[in-house]
Amino acid sequence: MTFWRKYSFVGLISARSNLAYFGDVVSRVLFLGVVLYIFLRLWKVTYAETAVQTLGGLTITQMLWYLTVTESITLSAPRVAQVVDEDVRTGSLATQLVRPLSYPLYRLWTTLGERLVRFFMNVSVGSLIAWILVGALPVSAVGLLIFVLALPLAFVLDFWANFLIGLGAFWLEDTSGLLLLYSRITMILGGMLIPLELFPRAMQPVLRALPFSSMVYGPAHLLVLPSLNELIELVLRQGTAIVVIVLFVGIVYRTALRRVYANGG
Amino acid sequence: MLPKLISYLTLAAAYVRFNLKSQLEYRGAFLSQVAAMFINDFFWVIFWSLFFTRFPVLRGWNVKDVITLWAVTAAGFGLAHALYGNGLFLPQLIARGQLDAWMLYPRALLSHLLLGRMSATALGDAIFGFVAYLLMVRPDLPHFVLFTLLTMSVAVLFVGFSILSGSLSFYLGNAEGLAEQWRFSMITFSTYPTTLFDGAAKLLLYTLIPAGFVSYLPVEALRELSLSHAALAGLGALAVLLAGIAVFYHGLGRYESGNLMEMRG
Repeated sequence: MTFWRKYSFVGLISARSNLAYFGDVVSRVLFLGVVLYIFLRLWKVTYAETAVQTLGGLTITQMLWYLTVTESITLSAPRVAQVVDEDVRTGSLATQLVRPLSYPLYRLWTTLGERLVRFFMNVSVGSLIAWILVGALPVSAVGLLIFVLALPLAFVLDFWANFLIGLGAFWLEDTSGLLLLYSRITMILGGMLIPLELFPRAMQPVLRALPFSSMVYGPAHLLVLPSLNELIELVLRQGTAIVVIVLFVGIVYRTALRRVYANGG
Repeated sequence: MLPKLISYLTLAAAYVRFNLKSQLEYRGAFLSQVAAMFINDFFWVIFWSLFFTRFPVLRGWNVKDVITLWAVTAAGFGLAHALYGNGLFLPQLIARGQLDAWMLYPRALLSHLLLGRMSATALGDAIFGFVAYLLMVRPDLPHFVLFTLLTMSVAVLFVGFSILSGSLSFYLGNAEGLAEQWRFSMITFSTYPTTLFDGAAKLLLYTLIPAGFVSYLPVEALRELSLSHAALAGLGALAVLLAGIAVFYHGLGRYESGNLMEMRG
């Protein structure tokens, strides 16, 4: 079996097993509705009090659709760090290592399969809620394609960051604190709650350069204001960040594997 | 009545000591969780500070009011689940038939069961709440005394709400997902200015998702140093607690044992 066929099967099986719990996944989008309603109120009041048509270049409709995508991205994140942490602590990592699959790539494709289903579900329900609350977002087929192209590398980048945190279990008593901080930084500095244009001017170049905005702000902004140049820039930033983090993960993973001891039985 | 209260307080103090010792067995994990939650809450305050730098007043609320809101909510939630940490695990305990062990003790079931666990992250919330209020709001003595009383009221409300949402499992079987979503919705509504909402949403905030007793009334009480607002917050908290207790004991009639063999130290 070729490399790509093998791992795409892993991703496909993961997506199908998530589809089997469709009802459960749908029931979990209740929170998404609550969050979008709160955002709508927050921004409606803010637009009204500042008496402007656009904030950060976005109208209220674009703002809510932007937030729908950022929330859908954030809430679709599978439990990667926790699963890796569990594999390390329980020792099941040792049984994974004897399989004819690379453990990190196996986890990557499983995560991508799961995330695809969860994101599709979130964005579908989120779009319905946003449409009810503020109406449709005018978007062309090209604009939609630009948005879709911005997503895969965002998910891959987020996976490697989570995988790295999970590997921390080799040295740390607990990785949940690290994970909490990572997710909070991604939410706030990544632009989940407000677009980067509304941050203080001095902070904006720094936030754009950080990888967090490539995972959340980048794709969402491309949906509401599609731009081919911005897509190319984003993909380059995502690619660079992935190369750097994969190199780092490689070093950490090799060091960690030296600490794995397996006894027969 | 008084001997019973003293007996319960002695038991609660013993559980707190025991739970803390058990957490300190994994000192690194415990400290990292407390610190992570403290920093996580701090990030939220930074986000609101940035928001209010751009939009200084939101329907009469300023950044100090939002910091007060975060302080009182975090401290109340933290106190509730640092003491009564099992409240967060009620859905699992009920769905898996794990109440059996607690039923064998010569103690009132619910008040005893809730003491069984301490949430390390909740402790981080509690510390953050008091530190943020003291350092960032800089209250005078009357305000600080009222703040402390209000955190207790909020803690009572969160305990009641955890019991109420957790008791869903008696009626719906495995209601972990639904209880979690309901709790997340409550926490999310509690951390945004209540002045954003009106109409039916406001009614919701004093009934199904009683966040108004956490966010609006305590903050108004502290803004105006108003004992009537504080009393209303306390009454609301008591009502939620009583509703939670009533639903729990009503649901207990439907409880089915898990026939589990368990050892408790």
